[in-house]
Amino acid sequence: MNLTLVDWVIMLLYFVFVLGIGFALKRYMRTSTDFFLSGRSIPAWITGLAFISANLGAQEVIGMGASGAKYGIMTSHFYWVGAIPAMVFVGVFMMPFYYGSRARSVPEYLKLRFDEKTRGLNAISFAIMTVFSSGISLYAMGLLLGTLLGWDFNVSVMVSAVIVLVYIFLGGLTSAIYNEVIQFFLIVFGFAPLVFLGLKDAGGWAGLQTRLATVATANGFNSGAMTHSWSFMGSASSNPMGVEWFGMLMGLGFVLSFGYWCTDFLVVQRAMAADSMSAARRTPLIAAIPKMFFPFLVILPGMIAIALTYHAGTSGFSLPKKPDGTFNYDMSIPLMLAHYFPSGMLGIGLTALMASFMSGMAGNVTAFNTVWTYDIYQSYIRKGESDHHYLWMGRMATIFGIAVSVIAAYATTRFNNIMDMLQLVFAFVNAPLFATFLLGMFWKRATGHGAFAGLLSGTIAAAIHHGFTLPAGAVVGIKGGWFGVHHIYPSEMAQNFWTAISAWTTCFLVTILVSLATKPREENQLVGLVYSLTQRPKAENVPWYERPAVLGAIVLGLAVVLNIIFW
Amino acid sequence: MQLDIRLPIGLLFSLLGLLLVVSGLVMDKGVYQRSLGINVNLWWGVVLLAFGIVMLLLMRRGAGGVRPAMSTPEGRDTEAREHQLGLEHEPPRRGH
Repeated sequence: MNLTLVDWVIMLLYFVFVLGIGFALKRYMRTSTDFFLSGRSIPAWITGLAFISANLGAQEVIGMGASGAKYGIMTSHFYWVGAIPAMVFVGVFMMPFYYGSRARSVPEYLKLRFDEKTRGLNAISFAIMTVFSSGISLYAMGLLLGTLLGWDFNVSVMVSAVIVLVYIFLGGLTSAIYNEVIQFFLIVFGFAPLVFLGLKDAGGWAGLQTRLATVATANGFNSGAMTHSWSFMGSASSNPMGVEWFGMLMGLGFVLSFGYWCTDFLVVQRAMAADSMSAARRTPLIAAIPKMFFPFLVILPGMIAIALTYHAGTSGFSLPKKPDGTFNYDMSIPLMLAHYFPSGMLGIGLTALMASFMSGMAGNVTAFNTVWTYDIYQSYIRKGESDHHYLWMGRMATIFGIAVSVIAAYATTRFNNIMDMLQLVFAFVNAPLFATFLLGMFWKRATGHGAFAGLLSGTIAAAIHHGFTLPAGAVVGIKGGWFGVHHIYPSEMAQNFWTAISAWTTCFLVTILVSLATKPREENQLVGLVYSLTQRPKAENVPWYERPAVLGAIVLGLAVVLNIIFW
Repeated sequence: MQLDIRLPIGLLFSLLGLLLVVSGLVMDKGVYQRSLGINVNLWWGVVLLAFGIVMLLLMRRGAGGVRPAMSTPEGRDTEAREHQLGLEHEPPRRGH
């Protein structure tokens, strides 16, 4: 693909603005709270857009397009069943404790609510995970720019690492948040014309449906399987995702989505930077509104790509195959950009893609430097230093985090399996988390020993479940079955959902049992941390559209309507 | 008031819009074969430019940047509580 002068100018302009924001914000970074939490001073609409953007990294844009091509409209379950209800829950019910407790991070909330060891476990596993996720993001970007534009892997990795480093080093979380908002608009404006052109090529929604019917029948499914999200979920064998409704609803809708959106510091940090309790609660709710329309921006291109591959349109777009004979689903969105956009628009599309990779990485780095500095360095290495010292440490942690990300990116090029393994371990660690937070926030009897035992046993339960099961067609090893295959799931996704369900249930039960056997904390120490002992935040004297409960109900109502339309 | 985010957004998108509009006007029309005969540069450039200008105009209204915690009653309250809990090592600031 050839870039012309105007595409280069567009990219350059974007980088100038990204770095310019870092420089402009530098002088406002006076305390550690400024650097790690933006001095808790950002209005809700900005934190709200940053809330979705921080998650809108490589996995989201490339991965959702790929899933759209593989599974069709069912991929929208990740949004309309997964993300949206969880975002409403965190805004309406959990934010009062995160923001109200004045914890500066999610692990610190665990320390205030439970004890030091629960915080330590969460902080250390989170810090390791974020650094590696940022490395994976960097690797994916280097690889993509290499295949698409023929750019050198080293140059892509180094240039983007240095840009992210500079703007976070200078402007801290505020810089990351401001750039996430810009990235949000770039993605929307960069992908909307792509969807328009792709749909036009496929003959509109009606044309796309007929084409996708060909795809579905060619793969042995009912002709509507790619364009209906719920109709074919009665049994796992009748839909391309290979999951049945209960496993999806519990595994994805409840355990995994609530676990991610309600407990992952990467997103919660954005809400913690809000300028008031009400702004913090509205952050995920404001985020949910554009989020529920993102399937049309990231999943639809994948569906169009596969539809045109089976049943060509006028422009002759089709997905290439990988050496093993399967379609290269991951290239759906990047190749469509290259196919439909002329120079000029192409520059915008590529910049949007790069922006999403970079801010995905920046989100991880800002979460890492905060957890490292507050929850590890200040708690276990050097207590009681001046605030100035911790601000300095935050900047050093930024350099360190990015250096490790770069190393991880290079390690991935050599040992691809190591990354798969790490991601698997992360999944085990993450799966039980939501049970701990749910009990911590809504059951005052839950104790520190209970939480710690629950988290550990949940992670172990996930590993055991994975070790005894295997997805259909996979070989024993990284995909599971290393304790002996006792159950075969119809798909990898079904296996993941049930691994999460077993981890969550184990953590939930063990936490309750151990809590009942151990000494509870004094109630007066739990004020502001547990639902029944905390005054509800008042929402009087504000217009209806600023009330979290009203906003939450509207968001849920809209999500139900979307589910019904694409039933 | 610190940096109003609407300034960089407005400037960036106005400039991007202008670049696209100009390319749409001067570039050889043959390149639009790939975009199904539509001059996406021109049309989408107009949209980006309009968005950028709206952002710049919105700057005249209300807060769009950072509001120091000490400038709202709620913020002062929470900062004080944070200080009381010993979660930070700085004295409460006295506004900007």
